[in-house]
Amino acid sequence: MAGTGHAHLRLDDPNILLRVRDLVVEFPAGKGQVVHAVSGVSIDLARGETLGVVGESGCGKTTLGRAVMRLEDAQSGTIEFRDHDLFGLGGSELAVKRRDMQMIFQDPVSSLNPRRRVRDLVREGLEIWGNESGPFSDARVEAILAAVGLAGESVGERRPHEFSGGQCQRICIARALVMDPEVLILDEPVSALDVSVQAQILNLLEDLKVEFGLTMVFVSHDLAVVRNVSDRVMVMYLGKVCEVANTERLFDAPAHPYSRALLASIPGHELNLPDASTLISGELPSPIEPPSGCRFRTRCPMATEECAEREPELREVAVGQFVACHHA
Amino acid sequence: MSAVARLTVRLVVVALAVSFASFSLLSAAPGDPAAAKAGFSATPERVAEIRSELGLDDPFLVRYGDWLAGVVQGNFGTSVLNQQPASKLIGDAMPHTVELMILAQIIALGVAIPAGVYSAQRPNGWFDRLAGAVSFGMLATPPFVLGIYLAFVFAVRLDWLPAVATDLPGLLEDPVENLRQMILPALTLASGMVAIYVRLLRTDLIETLQQDFVLMAQSRGYSRRRVLWRHAFRPSAFSLLTATGLTTAGLLGGALIAETLFAVPGVGRLAVTAIFTEDYDVVMGVVLLLSVAFVVTNFVVDALYTVLDPRVRHGSR
Amino acid sequence: MAVVDAPTSRTGDRAPGFGRPSMGFIFWLSVTWILLVVLAAALADVVPLRDPDALGVRTGEIERFETPGKNAWFGGDGQGRDLFAQVIHGARPAMVLSAAVTSIGGSLGVLVGVVAGYFRGRTDSVIMGVAEIMFAFPAIILLFAVSAVWGMTMAILIPAMAILAVPGYARIVRGVTIALAERDFVDAARAMGASRSRVVIKELLPLVALPAIAFGFLGFGLVIATEGALAFLGLGLEQRTWGSLIAGGQGLIREAPHLALIPATAMFLTIMAFNYVGDGIRELIDPRPIVVGRKRKADGHDPAISAASDALLSIRDLTTSFPTAGGTVTAVDGVSLDVRTGRSVGIVGESGSGKTMLLRSITGAFPVLGVQRTGRVVVDGTDLLTASPAQRSTMLGTEIGIVSQNPLTALNPVRTVGSQLIEVMRVHREISKAAARARAIESLAQVGIPQPDQRVDMYPHQLSGGMRQRVTIALALANEPRLLLADEPTTALDVTIQDQILRLLSALCEQRDMALVLVTHDLQVVRGWTDDVAVMYGGQIVEAGPTAAVFDDPQHQYTQALLASTPRLDLRPHSRLAAIEGQPPSLVAPPPGCRFAARCTIADDRCRAEDPMPVQIRDREFRCWYPGTGKVT
Repeated sequence: MAGTGHAHLRLDDPNILLRVRDLVVEFPAGKGQVVHAVSGVSIDLARGETLGVVGESGCGKTTLGRAVMRLEDAQSGTIEFRDHDLFGLGGSELAVKRRDMQMIFQDPVSSLNPRRRVRDLVREGLEIWGNESGPFSDARVEAILAAVGLAGESVGERRPHEFSGGQCQRICIARALVMDPEVLILDEPVSALDVSVQAQILNLLEDLKVEFGLTMVFVSHDLAVVRNVSDRVMVMYLGKVCEVANTERLFDAPAHPYSRALLASIPGHELNLPDASTLISGELPSPIEPPSGCRFRTRCPMATEECAEREPELREVAVGQFVACHHA
Repeated sequence: MSAVARLTVRLVVVALAVSFASFSLLSAAPGDPAAAKAGFSATPERVAEIRSELGLDDPFLVRYGDWLAGVVQGNFGTSVLNQQPASKLIGDAMPHTVELMILAQIIALGVAIPAGVYSAQRPNGWFDRLAGAVSFGMLATPPFVLGIYLAFVFAVRLDWLPAVATDLPGLLEDPVENLRQMILPALTLASGMVAIYVRLLRTDLIETLQQDFVLMAQSRGYSRRRVLWRHAFRPSAFSLLTATGLTTAGLLGGALIAETLFAVPGVGRLAVTAIFTEDYDVVMGVVLLLSVAFVVTNFVVDALYTVLDPRVRHGSR
Repeated sequence: MAVVDAPTSRTGDRAPGFGRPSMGFIFWLSVTWILLVVLAAALADVVPLRDPDALGVRTGEIERFETPGKNAWFGGDGQGRDLFAQVIHGARPAMVLSAAVTSIGGSLGVLVGVVAGYFRGRTDSVIMGVAEIMFAFPAIILLFAVSAVWGMTMAILIPAMAILAVPGYARIVRGVTIALAERDFVDAARAMGASRSRVVIKELLPLVALPAIAFGFLGFGLVIATEGALAFLGLGLEQRTWGSLIAGGQGLIREAPHLALIPATAMFLTIMAFNYVGDGIRELIDPRPIVVGRKRKADGHDPAISAASDALLSIRDLTTSFPTAGGTVTAVDGVSLDVRTGRSVGIVGESGSGKTMLLRSITGAFPVLGVQRTGRVVVDGTDLLTASPAQRSTMLGTEIGIVSQNPLTALNPVRTVGSQLIEVMRVHREISKAAARARAIESLAQVGIPQPDQRVDMYPHQLSGGMRQRVTIALALANEPRLLLADEPTTALDVTIQDQILRLLSALCEQRDMALVLVTHDLQVVRGWTDDVAVMYGGQIVEAGPTAAVFDDPQHQYTQALLASTPRLDLRPHSRLAAIEGQPPSLVAPPPGCRFAARCTIADDRCRAEDPMPVQIRDREFRCWYPGTGKVT
């Protein structure tokens, strides 16, 4: 089996809502070359769970989220949502399925069309899906706006530029929730916000998750934020999965050398790890010509010849902890 | 594909498309070049004879093919007006137009660069406001209107400069007289460009002056002049470069007006005369020249980008 | 990648307008003129004018070439026809032609441009290829052929000119669309299930409409000018237009200059008016809220914060303000701070707290215009605010090094790394080019750049983000400064690279006994890498002291709240964070009293009314009425 394996997938669990297998996304880079953005990643998502996806820029975490939403075209792989294969679907069928999955983007200000009123922005999804207009949808829009903490008569009449970044992100969340989705994919939803506002949004997301019964994929580069919101965490590097584990397990006992380096790089951390400079060296290789075997080997202090020759597959090293490393 | 190959392909595609379109349009025009050549007093038989001599009875595509074959062999046809080869007429007129365009660009850039740089340093200062208002007025003045104003002021009222350039000496033969006659047409052409250049350079330079690397240069204690010219100017000049390319290509349209207005014996005037005398070989020659000039100018601008901007050179922009 | 920059910190980052009307007098004058011309065009037959075709020489009303005056306002032409009546009648074709060409050509161009800009790829290549050929095609040939075949009537000229106008609109709109399509709201609409055609119609068209209308007004003027040029060349409409009047008068410029000059002026004024209105509409495109507030009076107290005599950098009561559309922003408000040799000081705060402006106030290089600074900024005995330019330049070049936030933009993109390093050395000291180059390579090696002898000749874009930041550090250190100012030096970098860069900075400071001022929004960076910390809020330093002490036992309520709202690694997942509700205070009209009062959970009337006095206890200081646990002591 190519890629980084399936050991972490919960095949018999009836609660699995979304299952992605061996997803490959490549972008043309000119001159016949391709950027290997996501190379055979598999994830599964149980109902009510939050999966955190962490990694540095170029690891493919954002592309993964966008590909699941079908905003990027995948070269191969399957995306099953409630046992329907989304990958094979096109046009209106896909659209109907996709309604149950919504996405929140990094930059809340640029996510909102500046010309439109908040009410119309939030109602847009209902409009797209037709047959929901009039007083019913008005009431629903008001209710959702109140749920994200934007109560008040005048909110719906105003335009995005009258709101702060944090409030814009609340509008974006309202716009997604009005569709009553089951899965919410959040791409760095708090990275553009100040820390005090970030806390507001994180708390809000936790509340809404309970209230609306949401299942979430939370993509972020910020390890402390991911620790705070996630039940399970997946660490990615250069388009591959390094490690998947329950949140506390990952932070208490990271097993993949890259996970260890990532955690050790957090400034001012008090984890039991050596200096980051002893765990990782150099810079990210080109995603156009990724290293053979284990993609992390060029920066890994533990790398051996085996790492260059054979790609490690995910295996369970402790209960609920899966690592793709020959030496972990 | 190499740059030269790309240029060649573009040249061929554009030249073919433009010449074919022009040829079709001109064939559709009702005038009869044979009658024009034969003169007023010719008998219908004589006209028919000339028509078949000129190949005007052939089907349209055959005539276009003949013309194209001629062009490939360097034969652009003959003027029906004075029996000279079209290529010679265009070749004689060309230097005047090129001189006019270069002169206009020198004037435009010479005025616009200092004005734009000065404006950008003190946005909304008195000079900036003045330059803004003046360039606004320049943009609103069509070249032929400006030409009339200029002719009225400098030729009629002040009588400093000639109103027409009919007996234009070559630039090398009598530079003073040549420039005396060319200055009004060149100013007519330059005015609109000055306005565009000043606005572009000013906007880009203001933006660059607020960028990190310029602030960093200031923070390192560099002099104002060094920051401006060694750091800010070049990255701000790219829009100006593009605009210079576009206006050069578009100048021929303006040259038509300026040359007609001041009777400069250039390509523009030749084209206008040829159009009215139904001298189609000359018209086609000019059309071909214009489209080639357009493609080549754009290519030169692209090439200049690669010289001036290392990001383009390394294909990362 | 983190983009830590809230909209509030972007105040005034746009280039100020240029000859742009602010919807003022001239704008409305232009609107009035356009209305007058439109009225003239519409009512030319109704209003009591002389017959424009009546020959004055016959009727005796107007003389041949009569000069403008009481009898005939605009004078008469060669046959004594009334020029005023002719100009009024000539307005109609200009208006009809321009309106028709602009609306038809404009709408087509907008549609084509949006499609090309949104769909990109092959669609775009084909459309832009055709546009290029159309640009290369001499318009005059088309118009000539058309007029030769069908005669030059409105019905012919309108479609011909409309077609010629399409590529221009398409190109502008395509550019606008590409910029818009990069923004997330297009993806957001797609993610909600909107079809591509819905995205074009509902999301993009309304946004490009205004720029297109603005361009349309400019195009309107262009059509008037083009018609004039055609008439001038003898290819004009077969009716009386301004162009034909000018063309007719041009040959008589010596005998009767008014014949050409008056219609030319009418044309000029009309085009000018359309341009002005177009520019005014462009101004409307970005409606930003204008917050007008009152200017707070400085209360003039001296926050005598630790006047350590051995300070390398000593800032005293520094206030930095700049004008914006919404009023004067006081970004730094009475800040005092000392930095001793060899110490590292973190300045931490959220966006809009004034931390970056504080740093910029030291060097005096601002991205906004009209910045005013008061107070003192003393480096090694020299006050940078009052020093002569030469003195200041030397201090900046040799005593202070600066590392900025974004390594992507902090280096000159069009010059090699080496030329920038050599420049900074040669501007400030006597050193040969060859020696400077050798030093440049050496300094690249010192900041940990592999193969420095090759990298020295590279351009910034050829290096990775981390490498570029190392280059800016090498530039900052080139003249061996004693004070290093770093503005969010790692915000744009990944966490493992951040660790490398902070490690490097820290090591360099230790080796060279250099003082470091590190501005950041990231509490963890401060906690991990600095000796002292100053917390900023609303333009003021609200708390300062040794880093460990401040983090372990924060005194100011804001510091406490900030720490409590930060997700931590030692808390269980799903722990509730103590969010700070509300928004930071306005820097245009800051509230009286404590700046944090409006968001503070324990604030009372005193906090809202009185500015807290700075309190100093040993090496710590803060301005809060209820420090620590909040109980009154």
